[in-house]
Amino acid sequence: MSTGSDRAAAGPGRRTVLLSGLGGIGVLAGAAGLGGCTSSSGTAGASGASAGAGAGSAADTLRDASGHATARAFRGERQAGIIEPPQTYAVFLAVDLPTGADADSVRRLLTIWTDDAEKLMSGQGTLADLEPELAAVPAGITVTIGVGRRVPELTGAAVPSWLAPLPAYKIDKLQERWSGGDLFVQVCANSPTTVAHAVRRMLTNMGSLGRVRWQQRGFREPFEGPGIPMRNLFGQVDGTVQPDVTGSESAMLWIGSAGPAWLHGGSTVVVRRIAMDMEVWDRVDREARENAIGRHLGSGAPLTSPADAPPTAAADLDAKTPLGFHVIDDGSHLRRARGDNKEKILRRPYSYDDAPEVDPTTGRMSGLSNTGLIFVAYQADPMTQFAPMQARLAEKDLLNLWTTPIGSAVFAILPGAKDGEILGQALFG
Amino acid sequence: MSRSTRALGARSVAASAALLVLAAGLAGCGSSSTSAPAGTTGATAAKSPAVATGPVTLVNGWVRSKDAMATTATGMAGDMSMTGVFGMLTNTTDKEITVTGGSSPVAGMVEVHETVKNAAGVMVMQPKAGGFVIPAKGTFELKPGGNHIMLMKMSGMPKIGTSVQLTLTTSAGPATLTIPVRNFAGGDENYVPAGGATTSMSGMTHS
Repeated sequence: MSTGSDRAAAGPGRRTVLLSGLGGIGVLAGAAGLGGCTSSSGTAGASGASAGAGAGSAADTLRDASGHATARAFRGERQAGIIEPPQTYAVFLAVDLPTGADADSVRRLLTIWTDDAEKLMSGQGTLADLEPELAAVPAGITVTIGVGRRVPELTGAAVPSWLAPLPAYKIDKLQERWSGGDLFVQVCANSPTTVAHAVRRMLTNMGSLGRVRWQQRGFREPFEGPGIPMRNLFGQVDGTVQPDVTGSESAMLWIGSAGPAWLHGGSTVVVRRIAMDMEVWDRVDREARENAIGRHLGSGAPLTSPADAPPTAAADLDAKTPLGFHVIDDGSHLRRARGDNKEKILRRPYSYDDAPEVDPTTGRMSGLSNTGLIFVAYQADPMTQFAPMQARLAEKDLLNLWTTPIGSAVFAILPGAKDGEILGQALFG
Repeated sequence: MSRSTRALGARSVAASAALLVLAAGLAGCGSSSTSAPAGTTGATAAKSPAVATGPVTLVNGWVRSKDAMATTATGMAGDMSMTGVFGMLTNTTDKEITVTGGSSPVAGMVEVHETVKNAAGVMVMQPKAGGFVIPAKGTFELKPGGNHIMLMKMSGMPKIGTSVQLTLTTSAGPATLTIPVRNFAGGDENYVPAGGATTSMSGMTHS
């Protein structure tokens, strides 16, 4: 029998193992940066981990014994909350600007949020915060801010063509309540209290400059260490193929000189809410589940690898069964998601598991679950990197039997704020 | 540097708590006054000191604005002609300083206020006799429900996300501050002008 305390007691042991394997580099690097106090504003974007390649060299972070960063530098060329190993808890929210919003009101909102993010990421309450104790444990909090199409339209900055809703896919059943938005805020931390307080402060400080359009709360398995892929609530290891964002493939993540000037050093994010039909999934045996994703459920390794191989093992897409079928099914998620090397995206997904929705006619909860995945992907260009992959998956993917996209939004992620700047400074000429 | 590296290494083995690591970080960076953990530029910048032209600064200072929309929603019309300034007044000199008032382009009158319990047991704010005394190299906290600086006779609420200029009158000369404006729902305390009758800041007509 495994009780909660058993699991908690077992946690540090596993973490110690992870530390020696994956997290150790990060710990030492963090210590070096810390002791020297040499962290400069330019290092934020170049630090952190690329999943699968270890915990990275986060010279501007502190790490606790579990390898979790406890405080991250806010100032830098790039925003935090993108390349760092995903924290355990997250809130994603979209804000709409009111009728009558203009460049000045957007600038004022970004002025407030820049100050909020900087304070919260250093473990302080925001201005006008009567509960600063709730910010005192930063728990690796990152605040990441993006904008929708309306913001550059209002400020007169160049509007990139990809800053628009994604193409409609036949599998979509998108709801307005989970889609679109004029501004985007991602708050992640290893404490749900830290996340809740940060979100509350930023929305309170927003005042009438904006209105919440949607808010999604997600979580990941806290006992996974840096570099360990996400396991979704179907039990599948996913997100195993990630670009080398700190190395040769960083151009797949960050917008360079080819993009609008106000986005140099920025990125883009796609946020899709994927409902998972747990009750129908319950009818499927493990063999069929593995066939649907093309991976072993336990390890996440491709079905053409031994069951205990790492999830990053190369898949053999040509291997066939004695009956002549592909071992990795023609409709499997692995095969259908696979593109050329230009289509890589940096996935940073979170699970959600909310209370079942209330049926308005009966007043009772409908079904047993309201469960799914908050799919979050960062890339330099969603139309060339994300959209082709999504189109293939919409066309054919066995997982579509049990998953339904119900929300979708695309935002431009602002570059980092350097000393004396607000986020989005370059939007305002 | 090596000291911190060893400290963290030891703690990793001990799987000890994040706060201890934070403590190590502070020690390693020799940070003195801040409670912020990161020993980087971010930590100091995040303190938001007001412009330091003068003998007094206001650390993490803010001017309360209220939203006409929000106050209407709570049924309070709200008085848009006066508001409070909060934060940590900080004496940068090695001599005691008294703050007695000030001036601002956005306010016809600036007073230093205290909040006290009156004879009826109601908390009221009133001008602070003698002003605010900040010890040498010390601080004096301004907070909602406590001591604060009052901007009065304003033509309207300053907009959130902007900044307000305030020049304090102090025993050590003027101190000019640029203070960010933030949305804040509280602060509707009763106000007693010097020698005047009790009125409420929300709904009162200030003459």
